[in-house]
Amino acid sequence: MTELLQQVVDGLGRGGIYALIALGIAVIFGVMHLVNFAHGELITVSAYTAYALFVAGWNWWLIAPAVVVTAGLTSVVIEFVAFRWVRGAPDFTMLMTSFGVHFLVQAAFVMYVSANFRQFPRPGWIFETWKVGGVSLEVFDLLVILFTLLTLGATYWVLHRTMFGMSLRAAAEDFDAARLMGIRSDRIIRGAFALSGLLAGVAAVFWLMRSGQAGPTAGLSPMLKGVLAALIGGLGSLSGAVLGGVVLGLAEVFLISYLPESLVGLTDGIVFLFIAFLFVFRPQGLITVRRAERV
Amino acid sequence: MPNVLVRRLLLPLAGSLATYVLLVGGGIMYATIGNSASDGLVTQMLINAIVVLGIQIYIGNTGVLSFGHVAFGAIAGYAFAIFAISPDRKAAQIPNAPFGLTEVDLTPLQSSLIAACIAVVVAFVIGMGLARSGARSGAVAATVITLALLFVVHEVAKNWIDLTRGGKTGLSFSPLGRVTLQGRGWVYLALLLSLVAARLFKETKSGRLAQAAREDDLAARSMGIHPAVQQMIALLLSVFVVSIGATLRVFEIGSINPRLFFFKYTLLTLTMLIVGGRNSVTGALVGVVVISLGSELTRYLAGPSVELPLLNWILRNGLTDVFLGVSMVGFMIFRPDGLLGGWEPDHLVIRRLAKRPTGHLSEVRQIETRLHRDHLHATEIVVDFGGFRALDGASLTASTEEVVGLIGPNGAGKTTLLNAITGLVTPSAGSIRLDEEVLDDLPSHLIAQAGVVRTFQNLRLFPALSVEENIGVARLAVAGHIADRPQPEVELLIRASGLTELRHRRAGELDYGNARRLELARAAAAAPRFLLLDEPTSGMGDLESEEMIHRIREIASLVQAGVVVVDHDLNFITGICDRVYVLDQGKVISVGTPNEVSLDPLVQVAYLGGPIGSSN
Repeated sequence: MTELLQQVVDGLGRGGIYALIALGIAVIFGVMHLVNFAHGELITVSAYTAYALFVAGWNWWLIAPAVVVTAGLTSVVIEFVAFRWVRGAPDFTMLMTSFGVHFLVQAAFVMYVSANFRQFPRPGWIFETWKVGGVSLEVFDLLVILFTLLTLGATYWVLHRTMFGMSLRAAAEDFDAARLMGIRSDRIIRGAFALSGLLAGVAAVFWLMRSGQAGPTAGLSPMLKGVLAALIGGLGSLSGAVLGGVVLGLAEVFLISYLPESLVGLTDGIVFLFIAFLFVFRPQGLITVRRAERV
Repeated sequence: MPNVLVRRLLLPLAGSLATYVLLVGGGIMYATIGNSASDGLVTQMLINAIVVLGIQIYIGNTGVLSFGHVAFGAIAGYAFAIFAISPDRKAAQIPNAPFGLTEVDLTPLQSSLIAACIAVVVAFVIGMGLARSGARSGAVAATVITLALLFVVHEVAKNWIDLTRGGKTGLSFSPLGRVTLQGRGWVYLALLLSLVAARLFKETKSGRLAQAAREDDLAARSMGIHPAVQQMIALLLSVFVVSIGATLRVFEIGSINPRLFFFKYTLLTLTMLIVGGRNSVTGALVGVVVISLGSELTRYLAGPSVELPLLNWILRNGLTDVFLGVSMVGFMIFRPDGLLGGWEPDHLVIRRLAKRPTGHLSEVRQIETRLHRDHLHATEIVVDFGGFRALDGASLTASTEEVVGLIGPNGAGKTTLLNAITGLVTPSAGSIRLDEEVLDDLPSHLIAQAGVVRTFQNLRLFPALSVEENIGVARLAVAGHIADRPQPEVELLIRASGLTELRHRRAGELDYGNARRLELARAAAAAPRFLLLDEPTSGMGDLESEEMIHRIREIASLVQAGVVVVDHDLNFITGICDRVYVLDQGKVISVGTPNEVSLDPLVQVAYLGGPIGSSN
């Protein structure tokens, strides 16, 4: 029982990070129907930012907000440079563009920094554990859960209580109708990328606290997890993305604990296999967003 | 027009051979004038060309973005290495290989073919999954499934040490990693066969139907095409070609490790395909050449032999990958169809031949008249969307000798009724019959093959295909399913629709009126017993809709089909219909001749909110 509780907390800790990444991907999908495979590059950029600031002597308390802001800005820049031009293009073009950006940013870091990973110190206290009634809980997991809830709360507030958020949700529902109602598509899309970048920034802080390294491919794994979580949640649905992240986090933790020793190296592979099966049988994700095509 | 054999077989074959000679000739020339390294580069380029041609067969014809093809390459590559490496080399590297594979000793050719077959079997399983997920152009689920395959294969290759020797060292043919592939003979042969296979597949029935589904999945299914079958055929052929290329690649390098067929190679091959134009076989090869040359150039520029102080910031290691990324993004933004679009060299000749004057309409073979008449019955159809009942027990009957109109206020359920009949929405109650044949639970493509063919309110042509091919594909889709129904020649339909001058235009370039006419002709090409037209005059002026009346009558009598037409334009409906059904709130409220229904008080209530004169 205590073991189970521990695993649930662990899973929620992982899942929280995935949820934030997935939510960013879902926000962008909502406004421009783009599955952003370049979303992980925000984490790569964050990782190098964190590394650079460490070298400059900053500590985690200052680095964290700097990383969040950088990720938000980077997201807007990527939109401005690349995705702006393929708005409304066929799905194939958009998919390919986002992969292209993913590869391009990666290549640029190899070119200008190094292909090797750079290490930076992780805050030691996050791995301390608290004993609560026989259950030992990692401070890190609790921190992630807390901040995920705060971030989701803030996002909820933005989406439901501000003019920008309401426009964004309207645009996600029906972009053309929203435009006809006077919502400015440019601003909404840019705003969506900014929001999505900020969310990725928060996720990046936690991701980096745990990994403690920066490299050209640092964003690959979080991107894949985020895309998978968003897909589990049905892509268009924002709450689905959050739920998808949590489901993915829990699934991974349970897999790692119950897989035989020899197969633990294959955890990611098995998760992928499950996802592939999920998409074979439920291509719209676990939570189906009803989006009937008008004919 | 040149006959089918010439345009679908001989000319493409000749075009492919010409391309082949150019490519191989150019390669040999580069290899002879260059240094020792350029020989290896040419071999690599030609092998990459085989792999890219393989990928083109799938992505080009189906439009499904697959990241899994390199994973199939990895499967074939490992299988090849495990079969072909000599037993004593294997004993040193993978002594505990399962299934007694350590003892296996096959020639490279045998190994390559068996490896390709293994990859094809895996592809069949994956293809079933893709079909189940509803793969179509740009489908995210299909991309994710193939991406998952890429990762799973990579992880297995890294972790199944007994079989693959894991990720660090990989498997190698000789201790020194010496080049094992001697000469380019096999590469030349495999490239020739791959090129011919890819080019001819584009002209086969499967290829053409897959291309139609690529352009518009829903329209394709409504024309009697079952995309999943065509995609599967494309996938199997494509994986076979990719696998042969992959085994050659492994043999040329002399070793294999998990990184050899992973993200980097995916990026390289996809960029080649995208840059050249994914819908063109020739384009795929152009892309291979352009990207190979570009990569070499950037490698040279970034190397130590070039020193340009002003450009130091860009001329450095890693430039090649940046070049690939920029090419991919740049082409997607500025030229998403690549350098060649869908162009093939034989198109030059075909267009020239087509310009010759041909016979007159009267010479086109006339169609013999059919004797019996058919009936389409939709009985008590109920359709619910969530809590909203779009159709509430509506019934409709039409015979092949009449034009039936379907009118009603917005939201009355007119289009929904057409959708229910053609299998695009599933009714929760009611039945649909074509004479005695029950169509209720049939998928769209079988309903179309049975002879109920529709057009769409918002025009769904196959935009990248030519006018002629739009009609031709529709004809092809139902070939063999039409029994004794008259199927007009493509030629006849093109002329009857007044599209002769535009026959080689891409359908996406047509103006609105011509596009509407093409959609009608395409529907007629499927030899329908019933033509279901959804607002054929929407967006047309009075003159144009007047002309549409004649056009529809002419086409319908040509194929001897009954017509069910939905429209808002009352002049048009009165002008064309023998009988009219009036729908309101999902129910039929009146049936009769156009005159009768216009006098029906119920109809006046539905349209005007009260019978005429009642307000006084």
